Parts: sequence; C-alpha cells; structure tokens
Amino acid sequence: MRKRVVITGIGWVTPLGHDIETVWRRLLAAESGIAPTTHFDARTFPTTFSAEVKGYDFGAALGQRAAHHAHAGPNSQFALGAAYQAWRMAGLPEPSAGRAASTIDPYSVGTYLGSGEGALDFANFCSTALAARPEGSAVMDTKTWGGLALKTFHPMTEIEQEPNMPIAHLAMEFNARGPSLNCLTACAASTQAIGEASEIIRHGDADIMISGGAHSMIHPFGVTGFNRLTALSTFNENPKASCRPFDATRGGFVLGEGAGIVILESLDHAQKRGAKILAEVVGYGSSADAFRVTDQHPDGRGAIVAIREALRDAEMSPADIQYINAHGTGTKENDSTETMAIKTVFGDQAKNVPISSIKSMMGHLIAAAGAVELITCVLAIRDNIIPPTANYATPDPECDLDYVPNHARKAHVDVAMSNSFGFGGQNDTLIVKRFGK
Amino acid sequence: MRRVVITGLGAVSPHGLGVTAFWNALLEGKSSVNALTRFDPAAFASRVAGAIPPFKTMEFVPKSYRKATKIMARDIELAVVAADFAVRDGKLATKGVLETSGDKILGEGFAKLDPTRIGCNIGAGLICTDMDELSEAMIQAKNPDGSFSLARWGKSDDPAKTSGMDKLTPLWLLKYLPNMLACHVSIIHDTQGPSNTITCGQASAGLALAEACRTIQRGAADVALAGGCESKLHPMGLMRWSLLGRLTTTSNDNPSGACRPMDEAASGTVLAEGGAVLIIEELEHARRRGATIYAEIVGVGSSANAGDVTESDATGEAPAAAVSKALREAGVAPDQVQLIVPPGSGVAASDKADAAAIHRVFGADPKGAVLPMRGGIGDCGAGAQALDLVAATMALYSQTLPPAVNCPHPIEHLRVPQAKSAANLEYAVVLASALGGQNSAIVLKRYS
Repeated sequence: MRKRVVITGIGWVTPLGHDIETVWRRLLAAESGIAPTTHFDARTFPTTFSAEVKGYDFGAALGQRAAHHAHAGPNSQFALGAAYQAWRMAGLPEPSAGRAASTIDPYSVGTYLGSGEGALDFANFCSTALAARPEGSAVMDTKTWGGLALKTFHPMTEIEQEPNMPIAHLAMEFNARGPSLNCLTACAASTQAIGEASEIIRHGDADIMISGGAHSMIHPFGVTGFNRLTALSTFNENPKASCRPFDATRGGFVLGEGAGIVILESLDHAQKRGAKILAEVVGYGSSADAFRVTDQHPDGRGAIVAIREALRDAEMSPADIQYINAHGTGTKENDSTETMAIKTVFGDQAKNVPISSIKSMMGHLIAAAGAVELITCVLAIRDNIIPPTANYATPDPECDLDYVPNHARKAHVDVAMSNSFGFGGQNDTLIVKRFGK
Repeated sequence: MRRVVITGLGAVSPHGLGVTAFWNALLEGKSSVNALTRFDPAAFASRVAGAIPPFKTMEFVPKSYRKATKIMARDIELAVVAADFAVRDGKLATKGVLETSGDKILGEGFAKLDPTRIGCNIGAGLICTDMDELSEAMIQAKNPDGSFSLARWGKSDDPAKTSGMDKLTPLWLLKYLPNMLACHVSIIHDTQGPSNTITCGQASAGLALAEACRTIQRGAADVALAGGCESKLHPMGLMRWSLLGRLTTTSNDNPSGACRPMDEAASGTVLAEGGAVLIIEELEHARRRGATIYAEIVGVGSSANAGDVTESDATGEAPAAAVSKALREAGVAPDQVQLIVPPGSGVAASDKADAAAIHRVFGADPKGAVLPMRGGIGDCGAGAQALDLVAATMALYSQTLPPAVNCPHPIEHLRVPQAKSAANLEYAVVLASALGGQNSAIVLKRYS
C-alpha cells in the first residue's frame, strides 16, 4: 500500500524576505519585491527591473556551517538557507551536532530539487570570446580563446553552474544519502520535483525528502533570453506595477529569484517522531503538451490533463478545491490558457474557487516558482487566508474568474491546488490538504 | 506490481548511429576516441575526444518538423536522433514515425498507441550556448576600443543601429534549456504522458529510467521513452573539465588508448558526446502487441555521497548502497549477478571508489564480469549511463559479453573481460556516479 506524505517543514529565500513569516506577512499585504535590477547594469536592456533577493546573508543564515560551502553559487546558497529553515521547523537533528549524533538513517533521507542552471560568467565569456576573434571574422579562434579562458575562468564557479550542485550541497549539509535527483523542466521544475519526491516516499524509497527548488536567471544571459522571447514585462516606468496577472493590460512576467524548500515525510515517520504536520500532499498530476516549444496548446490540453490527474490522484472533485495558486505569470498567453483550463476542468465550480498569483509580488522564480507557491498554499491552509493577485485593475473578458484582486481574503481553506506550466509544454499540479481533515 | 520491460533501443555514440553500430563496435572491442577536430584544442592539454560521425538531424524528423531543427542545440539533436532509432526499433507507430513512414508500417508489426499513455524522461546536461552564434551580437556590442560593452549589448547608442542582443534569434534561449531534449522528442512523437528532465550528470539517464519505470509501475503510463543525451564537445566543456583536472593529458598521440577506466594506467577521462533512448513498457502491454522484449528492469536504487561536491566517495559506501537497494528490490543476491557495468570514468581516484563500491556489494572476489564502458567512447555526461544500459541490455539479450576497451590490467583484481565471449547472463547491474555525488543503480534481468 502506498504511504501517505506530509509536509513537516517549509523555508524560503525570496525577493520579499528570507524567512517564512516576513514573506508571508508581506504577501498578504500585497507588497512588491520588484525594483530596478542591481545585479548587473540593466539600464539599456528592454527590461530594467526584476525581483531580486535583497540583503540575504548566507554566512549569517548558515553560521559556521557556511565555511563548508565556500564555493556555493547563488542557487546553492538560496537552497541551503531555505533548507535550514525547513529542516529546523521540522525539528530534525542539527547538522552541527555531528553525523554520528543523528538518530536518522542517512539513507532514508533524500533530496529532490527542481533547480536551475547557474549564471554564466557573462562578462568574462564575452570579453574572452571577443578578444579571441580575429578582426572581421565571425568565427572565434578557439586556440586563442582557450589560452585566455584557462587563465580567467574559475573551476568551482564553473562547476557550480551544473544544475545538480544545489542537491549536492544539501546532501552534504544534511547527510542526506537517500535518493538524490534534480529535474529541470523550466518553470514547472520544482512542482514536478515535489510531486516526484512525494512519489518516492509513497513508494517507500525514502522516509524524508528535502524537496523544492532554487534558481536565479537575473543575469545578462537570462534577461537577454527572455527579452528576445518578448516574455518579460517592459513596464520600466513603474516596476512595482509591472506584473499584472489576469489583468487585461498584462504585458509579460517579471524575473524573480530565490528558493523554496519543503520537508516531505511519510506520515508514519512523522507521527512516530512526533513531528508537527503542516499539511498533507494528496494529489500530483504531470503531463506534456507535446505541442510546440514556444507556446502552450491553445486549448490548455496539457494543463487540463495535469489538473485532472492531480484531482484523480487525490480522489477529489473540483468542488473540494478551496484555493488555486495559479501559475499566473502575467503573460497574455499563460493567464488566458490557464483560465480556460481551470474552466474546462472545474465547469460550474470555476467561478466559485478563489485563484491568485503571487508572481504579481515576488516575480517568477522560474525553476523555484512552484516550490514557493506550494509553500504559499500550505500557509493559506494554516491561516485560512488567501494572498491576493496584486496590480489587478482592468478585467479581461478572457480571464473572468475570481482572482482575489489586490487584497488578501479570509477564507476557509482546507484544500489548495498549485499549478505550474513550463516552456516546452511541461505541466504539473499539486494538491495539499489540511492534515486530519 | 506491474512489471516493466525494455522493448526498444536507440543509441547515438562515437561508434555511430543506432544500436547495431554501437553493439558491433563493443563486440569488436573498438575505440572510437580520436583526435579532437570539432574545434582547435591547441591551447588545452587534452586534445582527444569521442565524437559522433557526421549526420544530418533533418533526416530523422518528419518534414513538418525540419524547421524546428534550427533551434536545437547539439544535445537536443542527439536526443531526437536516439529517440527516432528507439521508437522504430520498438515498433511504435508514433506520430513522427507515421509522418515519415506512412500507414504502411502498421502492416509491419508497428503498434499505434494512446499518446496520453506514453511518457518521456530524458536526462540532460548543462547545455552551453554556441559561441560563434553569439559573434555578431558581441561584435555589435563592442566599444570603440574593441572591448565588450554591456550597455551596447542592451541598446545601441546610435539610434540607427540595433543592439547586440537584437542580433540573436528571438528563440535563442530555447535552444539551450535542458528540458528541450524531452520537449522536442515529445512533440515529434506526440507523447503526452508524464515527462521529465533529470539533470544529475553521469547518473541522469539511470535516474530518468528509474523514474519512468515508477510511473509505469504506478499506472501513470504504459510506455515511456527514457534515457539521456549530452555533448561535452564544446570549448566551454573542454575548458571546464580541464580546469577540474578530470581529463587525460598524456595520450594525445594515442587517442584510442587515452581513456583507461578501471585500469592500473588510468590517467583521466576523455570528453565525448552521445547517449541513448530506451523504450520501456509494462510487460503485459508489450506482450499484447507482440513486442521484442530485450530485458526486464527488476530493481532500481539511488543515493548521494553527501561529501565534497566534486569528490568521489572513496569508501564506496553510498554507491554501494544504491546497488544494494536495487538488488533488494529485485530480490537478487550479489552472487547471482554476472555482469557489472561500473561508472569507470578513467579518473583514477573515482575508478578506485567504484572498485571499493563493487567490493562492498559483491565481496572481495566478485563473481560477475566488470565491464567499464568509457574506454572506447569517452564520457558523454548525461548520456553515459544510457549507453551503459543499452550495452547491458544487449549483453543479456544476446548472451554475449563484449570485451572491455583499454583495461588490460584491472585495478583491485576485478574480473574484466578481455575478449568477446558467449556467456550465461541472468542479471546485470548498471551503476553510475555523477560528478556532484548522485548515484544510480539499475538491475536488469534476462527476459525468457
């Protein structure tokens, strides 16, 4: 028989802060983490703003343990900080006490993140490539480049760009020797990671999974890539109002960064050690559009399958869902397709279920987005309150559902759904439920 | 419990395209590592590579999809080609196969399946942007003194000129997202079931196969395309592994003998490109459609070293735990295993760790043959374990053990086959360990 999976710890490092309660309070107050970009000089880019993590002190977050991760890149640093919050909330043994002191079997603890690739050393990449290009040639001389590159790139900075580095750091820090995976399915990655990590526990392959995601694409290559795709908002005059999910004037998403980590645990394991249970993971659905690399299926085909599969997995009907945390990127296409998919699955119930997008406030954490959004669902259940969709002013006839505009709403929430859809057509949906209900 | 079997194989490797080219080269004990010629490697101390012979991706996609090959990085091309070989070998009349070969193949034993019941789980690596593709953009963004200007990259100060970034094709980013391997494959073959992209270095393909196996076991799919592909033959790839000191630098004049995994003379690994896609399928589903069954997947296991992010687990403890877990699931005792494919990168320290893991599981004198695979191919990252899985599957299916390449003096007295031989093979274990510390073990069983 498959095991039940519960969440016993949550943690995040986001553009709105670096601890659960601060970020949650700010989300409920509809505050914005979006401002002019400072990680690099973006003033001439089509998009000059983003939602950056501000003032995160990795050394302070990890204390003396930070020295064990001297070369950790931004994604690994975000993941470690968020994981510590979650690990401590779950009441698991402190790594600083030493591996021998732990009562947990290291092979029963796994890691499964949906983390992104690290940032390329853009300035060095461009300057070495330019210097190695004979005048008038469009082809780089790799002999010259190689000589320059070997002197200027740093091996650890390079290896930290590998997407499996955040799980490597987490495994080392928490002596987690069980199943260890990273998936990178674009904007659906961390939802998928949590779904698959839950399946690992359900199947009995681990008792505890450290899961979620970490990502930053706020670097010249990331912004270039999304600007060329015309996917980013270019509302440079007013960054705070730039991300407007479901609004008729929406014009693109806003890059965010950070990490969200959850401690998933089998119910029997959590109960045996007397852990406080925050919520139960009851449904997971995953699908592929198999349509186009550039856009979603116009009928929301894949999204519909993912939502339906999650409901079926949870043995629930649409009427059971009391809150949907939308993918809600703020792009024309996503928000109308997502609305259509919800209407197709929920039918008459669609108008009754409150839907909101926190991307309106903390931007789009790309691979890490799904994890922070699932944590938001857990908190909505904990406090019976739904965070708003900020910047909502002009209704769009194609988006005619209840998006909880601008103000948080008190509501009874026992069951919440989180949707994530990735470039390339990967769709993932999770359903969490108040434990014991 | 639903049982999962392997019913199709598609490999792309330095040995050539398709499983036949791959398997024949293995049986011959051939090395396809050569001097690196894809670009000028003169600045680097390691100048050999496992490169795939030239091919045209266009020839492996339906006509309607040819345009899309323009937005495929090399890694994506490899996956698309490997998947095409796999679905044809597995006799699946997917959308892509029907578009290129027509309905007539339905009379040739090909089966048409419900697309929502087919999954796609292809491991991938960190894909690097093509450097020359950025040339025009970078030149456009130059300062008058020739240095790079980030400001001009974003916007030209001459209103008549475009910015640097505007010289890039709008879809540029999509060429380099790791999930695009599975995305293009799922679009071409219309696989709408669960799809994922595992990015755990050399362990990616086994982890992807294991996860796809679970989706079939739990009933979320009946069939899946699973494996991994990567090309490391890129100036950035060569630079990265050179800086990490992973590459052999002593055999530039003897490329075929350069990579010596599990051998006393191992001096480093060799960059390569390649990978494979396997068709895996629920047993009854395969039987009903009369599919060729190559082998059964009877156990999977994974673990993490939980040590320094770039070091191997010298004790072999964590990789051994992955193998033991997979054997327990299979209900197989270590001495029942006749073939062990180790990670064997050719980096001496990690080879020793692999040997330690083998001894932990299989004892001081393992009965099974140990077949390191990198010797004739090199290390193709996320594609590596996919090729190893194909090799082990073919060994079980044909009851033949190929010889190892470049391992005349095995470390730790491991039993490494030196010549092709007929063998009675019931179980094979395929173990991979990633740079980064993830381990993936798969137990395969002969199907009879």
